[in-house]
Formats: sequence, structure tokens, C-alpha cells
Amino acid sequence: MEKMTSIIAVVVAAAIVLAGTALYVLYDLGDDDGDGNTVYYVVEPPSSMKGTLAAGQIDGYIAWEPFVSDSVVGGVGTVLKWSGEIVPNHPCCVVAVHDPFISDDEGQELAARFLKAHMNATDWINAAMENKASPEYNLLKEIAVDFTMRNESVVEEALDHMTFHYATDDDFTVALENFTEMYLDLGVIGEEKIADGGYENVTDFVDQYVNGSYLEIAQFVEPVDTILNPDSPIRLGFLSGDLHQLAQAVAKSSEVLGNGKSIFENYGLNVDDAIGAPFANGGAVMDAFAGGYVDIGYLGSPPAILKHLNAEVDTTILAQVNIEGSAIVVKTGSGIDNLNGLVGKVVATPGESSIQFLLLKIVLQQEGLSLKIRT
Amino acid sequence: MKSLAQFIRGTVQRNWRRVLLGALSLVVFFGAWQTYSWYLNANDIGYKAYFPYPGEVAEAFLDSFVTPDFSGLLMTDHIMASLKRIFLGFTLAFAIALPAGLLIGSYLTAEAVGMPIVEIFRPIPPLAWIPIVLIVLGHLSGPVVIVFLGIFFPVLFNVILGVKRVDPLLLDAAKTLGAKRNHIFFKVILPFTTPYLMTGIKVGLGIGWMCIVAAEMVGQYGGGVGYYIWARTAESNYDYVFAGIAMIAILGILTTGVASQVERRLYRWMGMK
Amino acid sequence: MDGDEVNIQMEGLLKVFRKDDREIVALKDFNLQVDDGELVCLLGPSGCGKTTVLRIVAGLEPKSGGRVSVSGEEVSGAGPNRGVVFQEFALFPWRTVRKNIEFGLEVKGIPPCEKEAVSSRYIDLVNLEGFENVHPQQLSGGMKQRVGIARALANDPAVLLMDEPFGALDAQTRNLMQKELLRIWSATEKTILFVTHSVDEAVFLADRIVVMTARPGKVKEIIPIPIPRPRDRTSPEFISVRGEVLSVLETEFEKTMAQELSGD
Repeated sequence: MEKMTSIIAVVVAAAIVLAGTALYVLYDLGDDDGDGNTVYYVVEPPSSMKGTLAAGQIDGYIAWEPFVSDSVVGGVGTVLKWSGEIVPNHPCCVVAVHDPFISDDEGQELAARFLKAHMNATDWINAAMENKASPEYNLLKEIAVDFTMRNESVVEEALDHMTFHYATDDDFTVALENFTEMYLDLGVIGEEKIADGGYENVTDFVDQYVNGSYLEIAQFVEPVDTILNPDSPIRLGFLSGDLHQLAQAVAKSSEVLGNGKSIFENYGLNVDDAIGAPFANGGAVMDAFAGGYVDIGYLGSPPAILKHLNAEVDTTILAQVNIEGSAIVVKTGSGIDNLNGLVGKVVATPGESSIQFLLLKIVLQQEGLSLKIRT
Repeated sequence: MKSLAQFIRGTVQRNWRRVLLGALSLVVFFGAWQTYSWYLNANDIGYKAYFPYPGEVAEAFLDSFVTPDFSGLLMTDHIMASLKRIFLGFTLAFAIALPAGLLIGSYLTAEAVGMPIVEIFRPIPPLAWIPIVLIVLGHLSGPVVIVFLGIFFPVLFNVILGVKRVDPLLLDAAKTLGAKRNHIFFKVILPFTTPYLMTGIKVGLGIGWMCIVAAEMVGQYGGGVGYYIWARTAESNYDYVFAGIAMIAILGILTTGVASQVERRLYRWMGMK
Repeated sequence: MDGDEVNIQMEGLLKVFRKDDREIVALKDFNLQVDDGELVCLLGPSGCGKTTVLRIVAGLEPKSGGRVSVSGEEVSGAGPNRGVVFQEFALFPWRTVRKNIEFGLEVKGIPPCEKEAVSSRYIDLVNLEGFENVHPQQLSGGMKQRVGIARALANDPAVLLMDEPFGALDAQTRNLMQKELLRIWSATEKTILFVTHSVDEAVFLADRIVVMTARPGKVKEIIPIPIPRPRDRTSPEFISVRGEVLSVLETEFEKTMAQELSGD
């Protein structure tokens, strides 16, 4: 018995050593190409970034709020660069509509009213943030805590670094053009897709894809006493706990106006969470548009562009939701205090199709650094 | 080459009914796919781009080997990354599950000590560990461990089953021939368990491939076919998504095919047909 | 060999099985001596414990009382000085004929060339030339048992214990194998304890037939078979001895029937 047990122990030990050796032989664990200007990236969900950063599996990450403040408040991470420092006023989340929804007068009317509610909610948030002693700010924090399931200090920190903004101004369209050009350069969007979509060029595409006229009409929408669509609610798509999309949470809240009605109801709208909402990412919202489960959605601008051009999902961007609000986070105490400090290190990104990935790529390019997948 | 042609002709002649039905089944499958894609396009259904034609997928499949993707990798890089994971996960699972299974199957003490832990972990799907594994073990060994978990339990349980099913008559025969404990272990129990081990490996590899796709979607070093599918989905290049799916199917068939070949040779060598 | 030397010695053998809460006495006060080079058949109704006797001698089953010795050595556990041939052959399916036969030699640590010489000798003895590298699965029942016999003999045991070795064979093969066994026996001069329930087989093979009682098993009668070999099953002598053995056995068969009917 003893003899056999020891034989087995030896076999196990030998096998583990073998597997371990194989691991190190098969994977080149060298830190750097040696060219001295490469930053490596891996892809992982933002929800796990704080954990992997704390555990030392990554050296930094780029993500949106509240995943930035999550690490900062927890003492795990320090912000190396806010996204506004990379591309000032860069677009982030948008409100998009499924084209069939606005194919008739009734749908157009509902969409305009929806945008009025969106504007109203955004203005209310901005006003509340002006005065942190106000009861409105406290209510805002409450709504944000409920929506993101983060604690108050994380929410406060995150709100301080976000700008809620709905206008589809020139900064917005120019940035969308730039992002689209980048995707074309990288081959993510095939050159033929612009023409296939019936557009002359990228500028024409952005011009047609972004329709600011609803925002203009919305300015003249007045509150009504009755619900206009009692039997067919607007099916709303949005992301799980994405603080950028706080406006829709505020518009749903029956406490904001003080008259027992939500902002949506105040403008005569019956709005329901779509089947599947909250969604995991913007791509999923676009998929739900394609499947016909969502009428109006809050989502990041890159999936809106990618899925519209590549997967021909018939949508139109009606408004912005927020600008900026993402950041590059590094481990607290790592000593990394500039982008050159990331050379040879591993930075986690939410995915190559995310706006955060593009921002990381842009800022590294500005510094003369290149971004490569960690192999 | 002539002998190969003869071999193929001979096989077709002998099994023409099978070959015909198999070909027919494939024709019907691709025909149905083609028709569905055509139907979506003809009626301008909202999600038509999500179901590219088989021809487009074939084109994307070939292109993925020559045109680097967003991350600068070719399909071959992704295949190698996934194969490495399968290989490492398999080696680890095999190295631990075989001796553990032999011990648990042979000794009541080992069974009493080992089984409670095994029974706790067995019903947990390997994918449930993904978020934790990524944080604790990182992007390099994390996905490997997910694959390991997928392969480990089928191998372990089949080995235990094999040991428990050892024909007592063979044990008697060995004892009367003067075999001591270690002889019985290496010359009777181990060979007797081999077919069970092979079954465990085949089942485990199948589960391993399922695990790897999901594990790579969450976080990894150096891509992988699962990651490829995920990344192309985010880009909405569905012809390439299907190409990745087809690649997984091919790799799965190849690995289980290799395992079946090994099993067949082993059985023939062991005189068990 | 000096025919009078005692090889297997059993005195006051007792075997009690526990089944649930009941105790079943399988053997009680079983006494038997088998001389060196002798071929003794154990005959009795099914369930009388004849296989149990053999397994106790083989060391595969612990006894509950009494004494068993082989070549003067007290039996404690299985050992290579007692070769066993099983009814179900019990060959290692993953080993070739040669490798099966060499199992005992391997375990002993015999060097390869010697091992091969020994196995070749026994392959010749049981007439399996040309089948050395074949796996058991491809062999007929009779050939499988030839391997079983060769494997047991290759260890050069003091005694050969055979547990209904031809029970799984068809009648013709069985007769052939009985003749083969006698040939092998005369070539090796081994002491053989042979368990069977076939009167015909026992009379054809044995120097002495030990008829056992129904449970609890003990020796009912020991019948020497004086017929010279080769024996002819159709000779009047053979038929009369067979009749004698059958009549001794018949009362025990009836007892067994009664036991079974009473549900014991």
C-alpha cells in the first residue's frame, strides 16, 4: 500500500511538473517584444476588471463609469487619464430608434415625446449636480445607487467625472466620422459597406444616420394629462447598471417631478423595459432591434455604427446621452504615472469594438506607442 | 495516389448507401440554410445580415487564414491558442484524474476522503468558475483551468467506474499466480481500466471544447477560436462569426477523431477489438 | 515421484458464511488427504461447497476453522505454489496467449529469455503453437482453457487446482480436453484436485473420487477408481463404476432438492 501510494504520488508530481513545463514552453511569458513602445491588451468584461487589477492579473484597464470609480473608491486603482483628456467631448452613449417605429406619424410623435423626456431628465440631472446640497442631488444619488447597485461613494465619485449631454452637435458628428474612419482603416467595417448602405461617403453616412430633427421638434412638446400609448408601450432597451444611461432611470422615476408621475408619463408616454433589458452590452441592444424586441434604446455609439453598417440593423441615432466618462485606470501604488509607464504592461479593455478601445488606441498613438494583443 | 483512389473507390462501392445518404443529408442541410438566408434577404427581414449565405461563410472562412483580424491575428493563431489550452487542460486533467480515480476506486479510505470533495465540485458547471478563475489565475492559466475542469470529472468518474468494475475473477487469477499488490495494480487494474479511461477522455474532450469557447470569451492571452467568434460578433461580421463556429466544429471533430483513433489502436493492441 | 507422500492435507475444515443476519455453514469437519501426483475429483451436488474447498486450498477464501496445508506448508493466502484453473478461464483479455502464460513468471521477475523459454515449453505442452501472439478473445473455449492450464503450470506449482475447468465447454470439446488433461498430467506428474459435478468426467479422470454431502459439506464417501488408463467410457467396467458413484450421489441430490424446496 505504501509503495503504491508513493508510486502514484510520484506519477502525479511528474505529470504536474510536465504540464507546468509545457505551460511555460508553449506560452512565451516574455514581457515585451523589446521594441520598447508596445502596450499589450487583453479583453475582459468591465465587471471583472477591478478584481483582476487587484489580483495583479492586469496592470491597468480602460472602462466606463461606474467601473472606474469602483476601483478608485475601493483604493485599488488610480486614474491615469480621463477620456475627456484624450478626445475632449468625445461621444459615448446615444439614443437610437428602430426605423420601423418611426415609419408613421404616431411613432414619430411618440419618438419626439420620448426625446423631450430624455432632455428633461438630462437637464434635471445637470441641475441636481450643480448643487450638491440640494434634495434633488440626494434623489439623483438614490436613483443611481438603485440602478448601478453600487454604494453612494462610488456613485458620487463617478458622477463627478461624467457629463450628461443630449445635443447632436458638430463635436459629436465629427467624432463619429473619425470613429467610422478608424473602423474602416482597421478593416472592421469593409469599404464596400458604406456604399452597400446607400451612402456616398463617411460624412454622408453620419449625416443620415444621426437625425437631430427630433430633438428640435421635442423642444415644443408639452406635458399631457393622458397616456397616448396605453396599450402599446415603447419597448426600451438599455445596459445593465451603466451609469452613463442614468437619464432613462431618472425619466422612469415617479419621485423626480413630485406629482407622482414619472417624466415619461408627464409627456404622455407608456414606457416598458424591453424583453431582455437590461442588456449586457450595446451589441445586444442592436441585436434586439434587429429581432424586433426594442423600439428605442440607449447604447454606446460604436455598436450603433458597427451593427448598422455591418449587420444592416435599421436604426437612427436621435440624441446623445453623455459625453466622456471613461478612464484609463492603473493599479494604485504601481508607480505608473504616465502612458510610457504602460509599455510592456497589460491593459484590459472591454473589447476591440468598444469606444474605450478606440480611445486607448488613439492616446497611445499620440504618444508614439503601439497597442498589441497579449499573446 | 493510385492506391488512395482505389481505396476511396472501394469504400464508396462497399458503402454506397451510407455515402449517398450522408451526402444527401449534407445537401439538405446546406440547401435549407441557403433557402433560409435567401428568404430573409428576399423579404428584407431585420436580421438578415445575421444569417449569411453558406457561400459567404466559406469565403470568410478561407479569408480568415490570410487576412489578419482586428487584433492582427490569423485564424491559425487562434487555432493554435485554443489547441494549446485544450492540450494543457487535458494534460493536467489526465495527470490528476487518472491517479485520483485509481486511488478512489481502489481504496475505501481514499474514497471516503476524496468523494465528498468530488461530489461538491462535480455538479458545478465549469463555466460557473469563469469570473473567479480569471481573477485568481489570470488570463494565461485561467481559461486552461476551465478546460481542465471540463475534462477532469468525466475522466475521474470513468476511471473510478473502471476500477470498481474490475472482474474479481481476474484478481483471483492474478493472486494465484503470485501477484503482489503492486503487480495487481499495474498489471490488472490499470489495463482493465484503460477502456473506461478512453471513454472518459472522449467525453471530456467534447466538454473541453464547449468550455474553451466560453472561457475565451471572458478573457485570455493570445486569442483563440472562441474569442474570435466573440470579437467578430461585436463587430457584426457574421460571415466571419460563422467561419469561427465552423472552425470549432472542425477542431472538435478532429480532436475526438484523434481520440477515437488512439482508442481503436489501443483496443486492437490490447486485443479488445 | 513417490506416490505415497501426502501433498494436500485438510483436517476438520470449517467454513461459515455470513449472509445478512444468517450464518450458513458451508463446510463442516471436512477431512481429505491428496497424495503427491494423485488426481482427485471432488464430486457433489451444486452448493455442497466443493468449490469452497478448492478456493480455501487456493488461499482465495479464508477458512473459519481447521487446518489446510500444501506440501507441508500451512495455507495462508494465495500463492504461486498452487496453480488454479477457473471455469470461466479468467484470462487477461489484453494479454496475448504468451503474455498470459508468462504472467506468473513476470511477477516472479524471471529474466526475459528464460521467461520465453518457459512459456514456449508450456505452449508446446498444451498444443498452442502458432497462437502465441493471439489475444484470448480470438480463441475458442477449449483453446482458452489450454491457455488457462498452461498459465497455471508455467509457475511450476506443487498442486493444480481445477474448478470445473471444462464446465463451460461443449460436450465434444470437453471429452477432448479431458484426454488432453490426462496427457498433460502424465507429462508433468502434478497433483491435481479437480472439482466437477459430472460423474462421467470424474470417473474418466480420477484416481479417487471424493463424494461430498449436501450442505453442510463434508466427505460422504471416497471411491477409488481402479480402471486402468486409457479408460473407455463404453466398457462395462466404466459403466458399472459410474453406476456405483451415481447411486452414492443420488441420495445427496435428493437432499439438496429438499433443501432448496424448503427455501434454505
